Order: sequence, then C-alpha cells, then structure tokens
Amino acid sequence: MSLILALVLTFVLAAMAPRLHGLLREASGWVLALWPLAWTIYLGGLTGRITQGDPLYIRYPWMPQLGVSLSFYVDGLGLLFGLLISGIGALVLIYSGGYLKKHRHLGRFYLFILSFMGSMLGLVLTGNLIALFVFWELTSLSSYFLIGFEHEREEARQAALQALLVTGIGGLALLAGLLLLGEAGGTLELTVLLERGEALRASPYYLPALILILVGAFTKSAQVPFHFWLPNAMEAPTPVSAYLHSATMVKAGVYLLARLSPALGGTAAWQIGVTGGGLATMVLGAIMALGPSDLKRILAYSTVSTLGALTFLLGLGTPLAVKAAMTLLLAHALYKGALFLVAGAVDHETGTRDVWKLGGLGPSMPITATAAGMAALSMAGLPPSLGFISKELLYEAQLHALHLPALLAGAGVLASALLVAVAGVVGLRPFFGHPVHRTGHLHDPPPSLWLGPLLLGGAGIALAIAPDMAASPLTTAAVSAVLGKPTVVELRLWHGLNPSLALSALTVLAGAGLYAAQPFLLDIAARARLKEWAARWGPQRGYERMLQGLNALATTQTRLLQSGFLRFYLMIIILTTIALVGSTIAIREPLSRWMGRIVDARPYELMIVVLMGLATLMAVLTSSRLAAVAALGIVGYGVALLYMLFGAPDLAMTQFAVETLTVILLVLVVYRLPRFTRLSGRPARLRDAALALAAGGMMTALMLMVLSAPLKSRLAPFFAANSLTLAKGRNVVNVILVDFRALDTLGEITVLAVAAIGVYALLKLRME
Amino acid sequence: MDMVLAIVVGGLYAAGLYMMMRRSIVKLIIGLGLLSHASNLLIFTLGRLMRGRPPLIAPGAEALAEPYADPLPQALILTAIVIGFGVQAFAVVLIKRVYQIVGTDDLDQMKSTDEL
Amino acid sequence: MAWLPLLPTLILTAGALLLLLAEAFRRPGSAAGMAWGALWITALGTGATGVLATWGPLEGIYRMVLWDRGAFWLSLTILVGTGIAILFSQRYLADRGIERGEYYAFLLLAAGGMLLMAVAADLLVVFLALEWLSFPLYILAGFARPQPESEEAALKYFLLGAFASAFLVFGIALIFAGTGLTNLSDLAAWLRRPDPGAQSLVWIGGALLLVALGFKAAAVPFHLWTPDVYEGAPTPITGFMAAATKTAAVAALIRVFWTGLGPAMDLWAGPVALMAAATMLVGNGVALLQSSFKRMMAYSSIAHAGYLLMGLLGEPSLALPGVMFYLLAYSIATLGAFAVAVRMAGPNGEDQSFGAYAGVARGSPGMGAAMALFMLSLIGVPPTAGFFAKLMLFAAAWQAGWIALVLIGVITTVISAYFYLRVVVAMWMDRPEPRHLPRPDPGARLSMALSAFATLFLGVLWLMLGGLSL
Repeated sequence: MSLILALVLTFVLAAMAPRLHGLLREASGWVLALWPLAWTIYLGGLTGRITQGDPLYIRYPWMPQLGVSLSFYVDGLGLLFGLLISGIGALVLIYSGGYLKKHRHLGRFYLFILSFMGSMLGLVLTGNLIALFVFWELTSLSSYFLIGFEHEREEARQAALQALLVTGIGGLALLAGLLLLGEAGGTLELTVLLERGEALRASPYYLPALILILVGAFTKSAQVPFHFWLPNAMEAPTPVSAYLHSATMVKAGVYLLARLSPALGGTAAWQIGVTGGGLATMVLGAIMALGPSDLKRILAYSTVSTLGALTFLLGLGTPLAVKAAMTLLLAHALYKGALFLVAGAVDHETGTRDVWKLGGLGPSMPITATAAGMAALSMAGLPPSLGFISKELLYEAQLHALHLPALLAGAGVLASALLVAVAGVVGLRPFFGHPVHRTGHLHDPPPSLWLGPLLLGGAGIALAIAPDMAASPLTTAAVSAVLGKPTVVELRLWHGLNPSLALSALTVLAGAGLYAAQPFLLDIAARARLKEWAARWGPQRGYERMLQGLNALATTQTRLLQSGFLRFYLMIIILTTIALVGSTIAIREPLSRWMGRIVDARPYELMIVVLMGLATLMAVLTSSRLAAVAALGIVGYGVALLYMLFGAPDLAMTQFAVETLTVILLVLVVYRLPRFTRLSGRPARLRDAALALAAGGMMTALMLMVLSAPLKSRLAPFFAANSLTLAKGRNVVNVILVDFRALDTLGEITVLAVAAIGVYALLKLRME
Repeated sequence: MDMVLAIVVGGLYAAGLYMMMRRSIVKLIIGLGLLSHASNLLIFTLGRLMRGRPPLIAPGAEALAEPYADPLPQALILTAIVIGFGVQAFAVVLIKRVYQIVGTDDLDQMKSTDEL
Repeated sequence: MAWLPLLPTLILTAGALLLLLAEAFRRPGSAAGMAWGALWITALGTGATGVLATWGPLEGIYRMVLWDRGAFWLSLTILVGTGIAILFSQRYLADRGIERGEYYAFLLLAAGGMLLMAVAADLLVVFLALEWLSFPLYILAGFARPQPESEEAALKYFLLGAFASAFLVFGIALIFAGTGLTNLSDLAAWLRRPDPGAQSLVWIGGALLLVALGFKAAAVPFHLWTPDVYEGAPTPITGFMAAATKTAAVAALIRVFWTGLGPAMDLWAGPVALMAAATMLVGNGVALLQSSFKRMMAYSSIAHAGYLLMGLLGEPSLALPGVMFYLLAYSIATLGAFAVAVRMAGPNGEDQSFGAYAGVARGSPGMGAAMALFMLSLIGVPPTAGFFAKLMLFAAAWQAGWIALVLIGVITTVISAYFYLRVVVAMWMDRPEPRHLPRPDPGARLSMALSAFATLFLGVLWLMLGGLSL
C-alpha cells in the first residue's frame, strides 16, 4: 500500500511543484530532491528481501470487468530500475535548480520532470500490462513537454513533436502487442503471464504480438531505424537529456525486453529481431557518435550505441549475456548521466558545447574535470571502473554466443573502440590540451552543478572497486528476475588473463588510434558526402516523407470528396445505398421470385397512373416554374385518388387538403423565387439522370420483392378487433391516430409546430 | 395493380432524385415534393392494396370484418403526409431566405466553407 | 405511469413553448433572462431524469417508449450537453446581436426530441424523434445571420437531412412490410425465430436505417455535410450538434440495432464494421490537414462516430457501458473545447484558424490548461475520461473478435494525437499576434470549469471506485 501511496504522492508533489518553487525559490531543487531521495531509501530497504528471492507483489482490483487491476510487482529488475530512477532523479533535481536558476518557468519544469519521475517509476514497478502502457505513454508525454520546454525555439518544438510521434506511434504498436499478448495468455497480469511462456510462444498471436512489442521497445529505446529522434531530442535542457534521454526513459524499451524475455524470449524470431536490431544499433550508433561537434549530440549517439548493446545482449538471452546487460545498464546510467551533466556545466560556464571550441578547461574547473575524467574512464571501459567490468562481461558473452561468436565479438570490439574514442572526445578534449577558450574568468560551477556529476562519476568507480557493497547484490537480483531463476552474480575487476582481457587491450589501442584519427576520418566522411547521403536516404527523411504523405492524402480526399457541392454529397449517399441494398437484392433474391405476376389493373386506374407519369415528366423537364408547380400538384392529386380507390379515404382527404395548401403556397411564393435556370451541362444531366434512374429502378425492384410475399400484419387484427370495444371508434385509422398511437400523433403535431415556428422565425428574422 | 404502382413509385423516386441533384435551388422544392409523394405511395403500396374496403367498422358490427385495408400503414402515411407538408413549407421559406442572403440560386456557388 | 418515460421530453418541450411565449412579451434588453430560464428548465429536466433513474425498466404508451438504464445515461448526456451549450451561448449571441428567446426555445425543443430518442422503443418513435430534433437544428444552424456561410449551412443540412429522413421512412416501411411490426423488442423476438424469406427485407430495411442514422451520426460515407455545416453554424450550435446530436444519433443506433435488430447482428455487423473503419480512418486522416479549429472539430466528431460504431459491434451487455461512457466523456470534452472556441469570437467577428489560437494560453493559463485537458481526453490519454472510455470500447470490440478494427482504432488514435495537440501547442507555445480578446464571460468560464472537472473526475475517481455499473 505504501508503494501506491508513494506513487500518488509523487504526482501530487509534481502538481504542487510550481507553487513550492514560488515559495522556496533558490532552495527549491534541494528541497524537492528529498522526495526522490526518500524513494531511493525506501527501495534500497527492499533490496534485502528481494535479493533473497521474495519480490513485493501488491494487487488491487481496479476495473474488474476489463481485467485491469492496479497491481505492483517489485522484483530485482524493477528494483534496479527504480533505484536508478529515484537516485539519479534526486541529483538531477538538485542540478536543475542550479542550471535553470534564471529560467522563469523553472516551476513548470519541476512539474514536468516530477511527473516524468512518477510515470517512470510506475512503468517499472507496475505488474499489469495496461497500467504499464499507461505509464509508458505518460513518459512519452512528459518527455514531449520537457524536450519542448524552450518552446520559443522552432527546433525544440519540432524535436519534441518528433520524439512524441515516434515514441507515441511505437507506444500504440506496443498497446496492440500487449493486447494480443493478453489475449494469447488469457491475462493482463504480468506475474501470471511470465509463468505462461510456453503457451505464449505456441500461440498464433505470438509473432504479431512480438513484432508489435518490438516496435514499441525499439522506438522508445532509439534502436535503428527509429533512433533519429534521440539526437534531435538534445534540444531539451541538459538535465532532461541526462535523466530521460540517457539514464532512464530511453531504457524503458530495454526494461520491457528484459521484463518479457522469460515469456517471449528464446525463439528464433526473438533471436533474429532483438539480437539483430541491437547489433546494428550498437555499431551504427558508435560510428555516428564520431560525427557531430556538439557535446550533447555526441553523447546521444553513444547512448544509441549502448542501448543497442543492451538490446543485443537481451536478444542473446544467455545467463552470461543477461549478466553483462544488467551490469552495463548500471554502468551506463552512471557514467552517461554524469557526462551529460558535465556537458551542461561546461555549457553553463563557457557558453558553448562545441568540442572543437573547447579545451584546457581542466585547471580552471578541477571538480568538473574530475567528474568528467571518472565518467570517461567508465565509458571507455578502463579499469578500475564499472564500465570495465561490463565490457569484459560483454566480450565474454559474445565469445560464448551459440552462433557466430567471432563476428559478434568483432562488432563488439569495433563499437567499444569507437566509444573509447568518443570518451576521449567528450571527457578529455575539453579539459586538457591548449585552452581554446579564454579561460581567465572561468571557474567551477556552484555545488548544485558539480554534485551530481561528481557523485555519479564517483559511483561508477566506487562500485567497481567494492562490487560486493551494492553492485553485485543488485545485479544478482536483476539477473535472477530476468532469467526467471535464482542466479548469483559476482562482479570482479580482475578476471584473470583471458580472451576478454586481450580484446579489452585491443579495444583501448584501437580506440586511441581512432581518437587521434578523428579529424582525418571526418574529412573522409565529408568528402564522401555521407551527411548528404544520410539526409536523403536516412530514416529521418522517411519520417518527413511519412508526414508529407499523410498531408497529401488528406488533401486529395478533401479535393475529391469534400467539394462543398451538395449534389455531390447526395450522389455519394445514393450510390452507397444502391451498393448496400442492390447487392443484397442481387445476392439474396433470385429474379424469378417476383417475375411474372399478373397485372390486374383496371383501365381507370391505369389512366390515373399514366397521368401521374406524364405530370412527373413535365415537372422534371419544364422550364417554367408555374408549370412545375402545377405538375407537382397533379401528381399529388393522383396519389390522393389512388388512396381513395384503395380503401383509404382519410388519407385521400388529407392528401387533397395538403396538396391544395402546398400548391397555393408555391404559387404565392413562386414569383418571388428565381427563375428555373439550366445550370448543368448535358453530360452532368445525363449522369444525374442515369443515377436517378438506377435508384428509382432499385426502389421498384425492392417493392416487387416485398410484394411477392404476403404481408402478415401482426397488429392489424388487434386494431380491427379492439377499436370499437376499447376505444369506441368505428374509423380504425382515426382510433389508431388518437388512441393506440397517440404518441405518434403528438410527435407529429410537435414536429409540425416546430416547423411552423421555424417558418415564423425565418420570416421574423428577415423582417428585422 | 401493385406492380404498376411499384413502377410509378420508382419513376417518382427517379424524378425526385434527379431534381434534387440540380444546381438551381428552386428545383429542389419540386424534387422534395416528388420524393414525399413517392415515399407515401411506397408505404401505401407495401401495406398491400385492397380495393374499396376502408378500415371502417360497419354500423352494428363489433369489429372490423375481413377483408379490410390495413389501417396501420394508413396511420403512418398520415403522419408522413403532415410532416412532409411541414418540410415542404419550411423548404420554401428557407430557400427564399438563402437566395436573398447569398444572392445566387446556384448551389455550386454555395461553398464558402470549402475553400482549401 | 405510462407517460413517465416522456417526462424529461415533456418538461423541455413545455419549457420551450413557455420561452416562446415569454419572448413575445419580453421587454427589449432582457434577453439574458431567457438564457437563465432555459437553464432552469434544463435543470428541471435533469432533476426529472435523476428521479426516474431510481425506477426500474418502465414501459409506456402501448410499449412505444421505454425507460431503462441506457435511457438514463443517454438523457443525462443530452441534458448536460444542453446545459453547457446554453451556458456558453449567451455572450456569443449578445456580442453579435442575435440573442433572442427563440434561440433557447429551439435548443430546448431539439433537446426534447433527443430525449424522446433516448426512450424510443418503436421505429415510429425513432422517426418522429429524428424529425423532432432535426427541425430546430436546421433553424439553429442558420441562426448566425446574415452570414452567407450560416445560411448555406442551414440549407445543406436541411436538404440532406430531409433526404436522409426519407431513407428512414423507407427503411421502417420495409421492416414493417417484412414483419408487420414496428415495436423494436417485438422485432427482436421475431428475428429470433427466423423466416428466411422476409429476413432479407429486414436486412434491407436495416441497411436503409443505417444510411439515415449514419447520416445523423456523421459516419463515413454520409459525413460529407458535417464540415460545411459545423463551420457555417454559430459556434455554440456547432458544439451542441457535435455533442448532443451525436448522442441522439447513437441513441437511435443503439435502439434500432441492439434492441431491435440485435439478434440479426451477423447480418449488419459487416457493413457497420466497414463504416466504422472508414469513419475512423477518414475522420482522423482528414482532420490532420485542417487549419481551422471548428473544421478540425468537425472531423473529430466524424472520427468519434467511428469509434462509437465500433462499440456497436461489441456484445451489448459489455459494450453498452462503454458506449454510454464514451458518449459522456466525448460530449463533455467536446463542449469544453467549444466553450474555449466561443471565446475566440469577439464583437468584431470570429477567427477560428489555428493562428488565432497562438499564445492564448499565456494570457489565460486556466483556459489553456482546460483546453489541453479536453484535447487529451479526446485523444484518449490517461488519466482523462476519454482514455477509459476508449479502453472500454476497444475492449468490448476486442472481446467480440474485431481485432483488426481495434488495431485501426488504435492507429487512428495516434494520428489524432497530432492534430489535437496542435491546438494545445499553438495555445501554449506559439507567439501571439497582438490582438485583443475579451475575457471569457462567467458562463463560458463556468462551462469550461465544469467540463474540465468532469473530464478529470470521470476519468480518475469514477473508475477507481469500481467503474460504471450500468
């Protein structure tokens, strides 16, 4: 229960944050950080029982009809994510207070980032698929507001929208996938679903569900080819990039894959899709990280690469791979968060994030440089850092893979070597070498800005030096949760002399070479016009194309259908009706059923009918308004005569009266109306005539069909028997109108009254 | 006879629809009138024709003697005729007003809300 | 007893007539009183609905009307829509010098017809209710005189509406010709022991009813009038049509297709599914392109008709709560959005282009936040009411096996996020052009606040407390 309360309180705090900021001003970041800190302590307290294999499970029925319950499930995986979210969240809040100190919407920023924190915690702690989706979309939405936080800039708005569209569409695919999964597994409860892996993998829904879920996970975790939104999302304020776009939100996809791997993993489709996608992302992301000059964009691409590595490892799914994945997850969150925060601090002090314009900052910003150095160490995978341990494990997993170990290890070395070079670019180059910037007045930022990076960077080292303190238990719990069976993980800096270590050495050498050769490589890339090529053929272009395509489709539809021509709308209604009804007649009613019936018409009846026909023709063809009115009147009188002949005197009288009134009305106003003009051309008239005749023919056919069967009126006998006895009336029609169906009559009178009031209102409005 | 009427109703529908699809708004009034006649006659015919046997209970009788014309469709048509008249009257006034305010009798000109 | 189901209808109709009477004797300059009168009458009708809510199923007048849980929810939605529409109409009308008692009288008359539709248990009542509610709307659509657009809107709506009614009559006639019945539950009983010969008549009759009611509900391909009419009509009326008329049309669909033709569901499910898919795709797809808020909302209204049609395909006992809740959530969010839109009209005219909305939220953040909430609810983002409504509908259709349809629904929902959020983004993030807008009047503010509260309240609390137990 305390968990649900804490989650609700997070959102309450978010809602109150702008007001609190108004009260606390300068100290707001420090004070707000207490809440995620409390979360960290709370979750930390759970570590003991969870590592002993006793996960926390709370269930509270919410919408029982739909099988949606409010359930929470905290196991090792959720715990690891939860600690990262709350711990880094506390530091980021402190950082934001300093970084955005002068921003006038800082209060609003707290609102968004705390909502994000709540959603993200909910995402990793919930035990229900629907709730998971809800929190998933909420993180996308808060990310939208955070990326577009500086909404005065067009780029920020574009990037925010792009991130929302890509992750949002992915989220919807995810919803579809989760629903299929629920259908296949018969429940939306995560815990139950995880135990039904066999049945799920055998279900016919398995493949579509997997594909849809992968689309969701890949868009969120920026896997190729959906990766493009992440570098663009660097338009967000730096604390957001550190928190959402490196440490937590982008890992939601990885979380989902890890979470569902006991249920969905292990099949060939999973292997190919997840491993392949991850591998491609790992390599391409690392290559692309060398290109940009903006510190944050470089970091973004390297994040893409690491996300690829994580996905790849989960695709492999061996105990070794999962071990590597969980360690890498922890290491990456720490060092990448730190590096982003450093980038922000550097930007804050120097006013630029261009790596080529930075250099020699170390002496004037010693604390920042220390933080950057420690983080870069971890990123490059050098001892004594957590990054080193995770890279060793990565190589080990690759070397022990079932298929193509050499290829996998090669790709791993390439990506890692590139990351070594990138670590040099972001962690060393700005702080060492010749001061490019005028460094005289430069100094370390205030504590709020260096505390975060220093702690995160330091943690990456400390956890590696004393792994049994925290890193080993946490990964043990997480790995056990992902594998679905208790697994002990002991992280060690020193693994002995083994092939992994050799590969590490090779990696560092190659990385150093790449670092030195970066200007040269960039030159080659520029000559090969790689950028232009990517702009033309890359997925970003595909995204733009898709948006344009949607617009074009909508325009075409509007031009074609939404023309504003009334008769065109009529035609569509008529055509649809003909299609709906005509097809039924054709399919269901053999023609023979209503052919060849006897015509028993009498001569005088035929005369009336012929007269009506002629009058109808005249009404259509005449160019005189009066003649048309007269013809309409003749048709009406003809109808009345037919009523008279076929046993409906009341109808006949009414029809005569109404027809006379109508003709008088029309004659009165007809000369105030414009003349009949022939506006349409001959082809249009022919087309309309053909359509009208088709509709009329359909009516006739339909009637013939009805008339071929006798009518068994179920009500007439009742009226016939009871009119006099119950209602004391001999005219059954009248009795029906005023008694049995008085409501009809009341309604009819009301409608007529409304029409009359309408006519009156129209006339009155005109007179004024 | 009902087959003949089926053809008449079809013809009335065709004529009415044709008039509804004209551009000149005055023709629409005639079209509406024709359509209204068509639907009334349609209900009447579908209720089955019965020559000269109105649903009137003969003096002295307790109930209606077979055969008789079905009274229910007749009640329905009465409703329809009256509402049809309302529609017709409303149409005339509305069309007249539109003509005055918009200043054209060409329906194709009335698409000021459809500029792309 | 027999007349009890008609009580709300009668109250509103009598009230409308009273207003008309009062209008004839009213002193000039006292038009605001008419709005208050209309509001009181609506409140009285709501009260009557509330009292009736405690009654069980109640048949009346030779089983032509029926009061049940569905009738209660539909009536409530219609009455809430009417009340909110009256609230935000007053200043709009006053600003353009067209405030007169007839306006409110017609609004109440239309609502009366809609309430009749909610209790209809007979095809003839469906027809009458449709005519009843349509005439006042034809007039109201042309109320913003002397603007040509408004007149055109009225004419197009009227001509097509009269045309669609003809289909309705025809459909009823065919069903009667095939079965000899007009009562809907009798029809259902008749369908349960099928007679293959006449069943195709019922099917064709049903197809024609689908055309007519699809027209009122603005479902593709009978939706083409919607953008023209919505844009031309006075803005408060557009809101009223989008919310209350939609509710009434769906009420008719529920009555005819569930109560009446329910046993023949496999006959009409195919066409309805096609219509639902086309409606969701066209409505959401075309809404993307719009540059005017009103027109965008017209397509939004079309799109939601698609979702509602999808709900019609679910198993009634499961889907009914979904459809009811959807109507309520949709109506409230739509009316709230129109309450904001009404404010875009100053004494010097009205600009509903997105450009006009730029930066509006800076001046009035409360309004911006409310609009964001409404748009989120229309998209279906948790924790707004719209999300749970969509979830319930989708779940119902899903359980009935319409998986492809639900997936289309899900995909179009994403598309819809784009155009709904555009308004929010414009209001919050775009730079405003210097232009003077009046402060929203108390009525509009009240309707915004009420809608916003209801959108959140329905979303979070109601469902937390165990959902709708319909």
